[in-house]
Amino acid sequence: MRKMTRDFRANAEEACQDAPLRGILDHATRYFQGKRAAALSAFPGRDDHFARARAARLNALSRLPQLLEELEKNATAAGVHVHWASNGAEASSIVCDIARENGVRVVVKGKSMITEEIELNTALQQAGAEVWETDLGEFIVQLAGESPSHIIAPAIHKSRAQVADLFREKLGLVAEGKSDDIPELTRLARVALREKFLAADMGVTGVNMAVAETGSVILVENEGNIRMSTTCPPVHVAVMSIEKVVATLEDAADVLRALPRSATGQRMSSYVSVFTGPRKQGESDGARQMHLVILDNGRSKVLADPVLAEALLCFRCGACLNSCPVYQTIGGHAYGWIYSGPIGALLGSLLLPPEETRDTPYGCTLCGACAKTCPLGIDHPKMLLALRQRSAADKGNIFGTMHSFLARHPLAYRASVAVAGAVDPQLNLLPRLPGFAGAARFAQSRRLPELKKPFSARLRARQKIRADQGFHAEKENEK
Amino acid sequence: MLEHLGVSTVLPPGQTCCGQLAYKTGDVASARTLALRYLDIFAAPGPVVCPSGSCVKMIHTYPSLFTPGSPEHTRAVELSARTFEFCQFVVDELGQVDLGAKYAARVCYHGSCQVDRALGITVAPRALLSAVQGLELVEAERPERCCGFGGVFSLQFTAVSEALVEDKIREILDTGATLVAAAEPSCLMNIGGALARMGRAMPAVHVAQVLAAGLGLGSLS
Repeated sequence: MRKMTRDFRANAEEACQDAPLRGILDHATRYFQGKRAAALSAFPGRDDHFARARAARLNALSRLPQLLEELEKNATAAGVHVHWASNGAEASSIVCDIARENGVRVVVKGKSMITEEIELNTALQQAGAEVWETDLGEFIVQLAGESPSHIIAPAIHKSRAQVADLFREKLGLVAEGKSDDIPELTRLARVALREKFLAADMGVTGVNMAVAETGSVILVENEGNIRMSTTCPPVHVAVMSIEKVVATLEDAADVLRALPRSATGQRMSSYVSVFTGPRKQGESDGARQMHLVILDNGRSKVLADPVLAEALLCFRCGACLNSCPVYQTIGGHAYGWIYSGPIGALLGSLLLPPEETRDTPYGCTLCGACAKTCPLGIDHPKMLLALRQRSAADKGNIFGTMHSFLARHPLAYRASVAVAGAVDPQLNLLPRLPGFAGAARFAQSRRLPELKKPFSARLRARQKIRADQGFHAEKENEK
Repeated sequence: MLEHLGVSTVLPPGQTCCGQLAYKTGDVASARTLALRYLDIFAAPGPVVCPSGSCVKMIHTYPSLFTPGSPEHTRAVELSARTFEFCQFVVDELGQVDLGAKYAARVCYHGSCQVDRALGITVAPRALLSAVQGLELVEAERPERCCGFGGVFSLQFTAVSEALVEDKIREILDTGATLVAAAEPSCLMNIGGALARMGRAMPAVHVAQVLAAGLGLGSLS
């Protein structure tokens, strides 16, 4: 069953009790972090390169409307049909119309978070098309009837053995030899997918970057499935959200130096495709018809936000997820949306209805590992704090309110600590106080420190003893 | 410890909380009010030393709570510039590293998120501990990983917080350490509380406590 964002807290509690899931996540996130660290240590001048990638993204965000118009003009000149959509429903209906006009029965897809975001597969299926995810991880989650749990590794939550079982059950394909051997599982997926590519009438992909000055769409992948999805079928539909545009090919190159290294620890992904229009006269490959759907879906509102617009810098490398202790422990599904981890908490809070995401900004220890990892310099904790401020409407919660009241009144503060110390030195009663119900588990699972005599009182006592002994505790003002 | 190092100290009265809890739950109005109290309490010149990295970080955040150019902002910038974490103060301001302490123990230093990452104080606490005669300094497998406390996070996402502190403790125990030290009381409360709950006798103490014990100024119990 699909998890809901509004149940984030309960989902998180449940997920962290799932020992097999935690084992898989631990293994996978460490693997990604190790690969990334190795790639970055062999990347001379990496801070300069990351700064250039950030500059390219910032440059794009700073004049987005203008660049999008330039993109439309140049893509149209290259023979691309450009469509504009303000929300997911509009984008889905545009793609479904293209499918209908072309009599499409089978659709193959490249891995794309944006089409997950707008649930395009459901719309296409309702319009009567057969839809196949062709990225191995996406194919696995599609067969399992699940959603991706990581931005770049959709099936990160599944073990090899689970995948082998899934292939046997859903595809009737049984691995030869060792059943959970990865090359063998990959071969089985290839067998199943090859016929889909050949039968497909339309290929749908996302967009890693669109280049305004040339009207090109850039796609980054490792499996060749995007090449297949964009060259086998006669129609290619690329769907992008507005922030994916960059100004120039040079800017795109700056971004490309950072993206694969940060995502998978590769200097360059196995395939980088640059599509500038459909197949032209005399060319031997490429789709005969190319469409580009440019989708807002809440981004322009975020772009206008002085504090939170930087969330739109993200190019979805997924490194913040791998670095996040909370993500490492609960995985992606607990977030209830396709974007998870630090960037997912941000995007969810910004793009989903506020009543769905009340707990989202609080599912973070503010440890800062994500901000330190982000190659584009996104400061996730700072923005999550800003979201907390807004969701609390500057009022905080009951803990904060009570605590702040006491903290403004030193006598009451000291008295409350003294009373607690006298009545309940181990704070066993704390969870029973109204408003402190959330502390129940905390007190059960940790032993809270015994309340001791405050430092100020101990210091006074010490200074008195020393004074009595003839010493004068030096109390003069500091220089 | 400060007196031992020849620093004359004053403990200004009326101290409660720097406002960190309010700030991190999104209650900026209360954080601002508490910050104003602290600007008054610490108005007298001279360095302010605090044994908590996260509180120091909060003081360093004070300027962002006030309008640039306002008198409060100017005072916040001024207080922020002379507020130091304890280890940083001893090493960088007093210029002392080897205090002559002797303490035989295998100590696992937990470099808290607020000390290591937020303040960037990575060298001073480790240098102070390394200089203690007889003390062997070790680090957990993932020293940079959060212990899972996160203030209000531990109350709202208790099971996740618990899972994280269990990971942390497993990695600390794997080092064979007899003691865990940090420069952040909230991590120490979290790690120490969980250790006690698990029936482990290992003390979780502040770096200053280890130094004091090594100088015969106090005990760790």
